[in-house]
Amino acid sequence: MYFEFSKAGNPLFTKIHPLLAGMIQMIAVDPWERYPDGSSRLLPSPGEDEDLLLDWEDLVQPELRRHFTAERSVVAEDLSQLKQGRGKNPSWSLEIPREHTDAWLTTLNAHRLALVTECHLTEEELAEKIEPDFSNERAFALMQVNFFAFMQECLIRGMEE
Amino acid sequence: MVNPDLLESPETGLSETADLPWLVVVHNDPVNLMSYVAMVFRRIFGWTRERAEQHMMEVHTKGRSVVWSGAREQGELFVQQLHSHLLLATLERSTP
Repeated sequence: MYFEFSKAGNPLFTKIHPLLAGMIQMIAVDPWERYPDGSSRLLPSPGEDEDLLLDWEDLVQPELRRHFTAERSVVAEDLSQLKQGRGKNPSWSLEIPREHTDAWLTTLNAHRLALVTECHLTEEELAEKIEPDFSNERAFALMQVNFFAFMQECLIRGMEE
Repeated sequence: MVNPDLLESPETGLSETADLPWLVVVHNDPVNLMSYVAMVFRRIFGWTRERAEQHMMEVHTKGRSVVWSGAREQGELFVQQLHSHLLLATLERSTP
């Protein structure tokens, strides 16, 4: 998979392997549905003050959840533009409108955080250099976390250029 | 620990709010990318790249960094913004 910019100046991922294209499409799924335990990481505690905790639960957390849903909707719409090339070894490409970069960063991050929490991946495991591994759920989760991190790094670098 | 640089910084608003000692603290987590954390700091606090990276490294190496201090209401807004970027942030009352 390669990262570049389109003629319009948008972030563009090309030559995406079909397996990776499938992984990218997964981020359109609601993390609260996909990671029933891990999604708790997406709404952390703001502190220990009791009044603050009450306000947070009643007012802020619902707003944050609406924000994450809206960002995910933007990503889902972009994913409808995921294109498959033709030929013997068809790969996929994805152009992300520059103004949607924040929505992608948030949504990729939400899935990484929820996935790590759901699967109890450790800091040591996250720091390991690993080969792609589909042999078990945990290894596959780690692969997704690393792949989404790669996409995030590309988008961040793209914003700074 | 409160970063003395922060307390003297004009954007903390402490000169007006010395009796409102609330701190916005960002905590380490092993998942958020360092580049992402620095980018969020720059965006929310309007910091230079250097300052954002200093605080990001403080979070990474010491486990936490005080990124703002001042009035509670403004602190809550910053924590909400940090949470909207999925950073682990809390609002704490500073200790004398």
